[in-house]
Amino acid sequence: MNRVTIEKKVLSENDRIAARLREALTGTGTLALNFIGSPGAGKTAFLEKTLERLPVHTRAAVVTGDLQTENDAIRLRRYGFPVRQITTVGACHLDARMVEDHVSDWLQEGLELLFIENVGNLVCPTSYDLGEDLKVVILSCAEGEDKPLKYPGIFRKSELMILNKIDLLPHVPFRPELALENARSINPDIAIIQTSCITSAGFDPWMNWLERRAARKKAAASTLAAATR
Amino acid sequence: MHEMGIASSVLEAVHQETHRTPGCRATKVGLRIGEYAGVDQESLRFCFEVLAKEMNFSTARGSLELEIDYRPASDDLAISFIEFDDAEEPEPSGTSVRKAEV
Ligand SMILES: Nc1nc2c(ncn2[C@@H]2O[C@H](COP(=O)(O)OP(=O)(O)OP(=O)(O)O)[C@@H](O)[C@H]2O)c(=O)[nH]1
Ligand SMILES: [Mg+2]
Repeated sequence: MNRVTIEKKVLSENDRIAARLREALTGTGTLALNFIGSPGAGKTAFLEKTLERLPVHTRAAVVTGDLQTENDAIRLRRYGFPVRQITTVGACHLDARMVEDHVSDWLQEGLELLFIENVGNLVCPTSYDLGEDLKVVILSCAEGEDKPLKYPGIFRKSELMILNKIDLLPHVPFRPELALENARSINPDIAIIQTSCITSAGFDPWMNWLERRAARKKAAASTLAAATR
Repeated sequence: MHEMGIASSVLEAVHQETHRTPGCRATKVGLRIGEYAGVDQESLRFCFEVLAKEMNFSTARGSLELEIDYRPASDDLAISFIEFDDAEEPEPSGTSVRKAEV
């Protein structure tokens, strides 16, 4: 019997493309956010509200992944920013190649913000690096406070958690403080913003957070460009 | 349900490695799966069995075994070893280890 010891990441091909994409995003100073949440958590609604509030001169773009339909892209296109739908036809997640294929020309033209709406799913998208700066997990009230404990992977890997649909709190038995406690038990460093896409609650702190992060990314790219000049 | 994709990547790696060891048949592949990798082990085993048959890794001579090394509090997802039996000239018992370039 022969045993061959190998060390090969199962998703090494995805990781290779993600690294290439990350390098491109670093060069262009583009802040890329990968939004992950269960079906119906409000990822598209949240991005709609965000685009609505972005200054019109912002160079922002969105790719949105779904198993089927162009529905989300149609909703998101109403705000004047470029939007592309990725229909995965059965795949439960976006992978780095899909994203790279859909954003390369945008990056050449220069982009400050890239929003990636992943396929509605709390499990599979977690494993696929898309070259993003950070993952944002969106959890909505009425999904249950225990979701961070049941799906620890995504809460551990996300830098920011959006607790959405807080306008529903008077109507559903959901204790937000317990959901936050559960999320922090998995990831003590996770930033949390509570939002409602109906009342716009929480969108001021979110837009401020986004602006700060985008400025930081842009400054890093300028420093890099100056250093390599 | 990305277990089918994972099973397919693992078998592709076995396929590549088998090409480097002509005449041998892969009998076992080791996979490390971290708690946070988001992989359902039962579902992965099922996909692996189905695909291994389809890709002729599991034949009348025996089936290709999947050995899972589960790692808590980790997001590891990696192939760690492949075992072969030497079909033409059975080796004396014992384990020879060589590092593969992947
Ligand atoms: N009450 C309330 N409803 C919301 C809120 N955000 C989204 N919704 C509603 O929730 C439903 C699902 O929202 P979507 O934005 O389509 O959710 P999604 O996460 O993009 O869904 P998929 O892309 O299908 O995974 C829609 O009916 C939205 O109007 C919110 O803050 N409060
Ligand atoms: Mg959506």
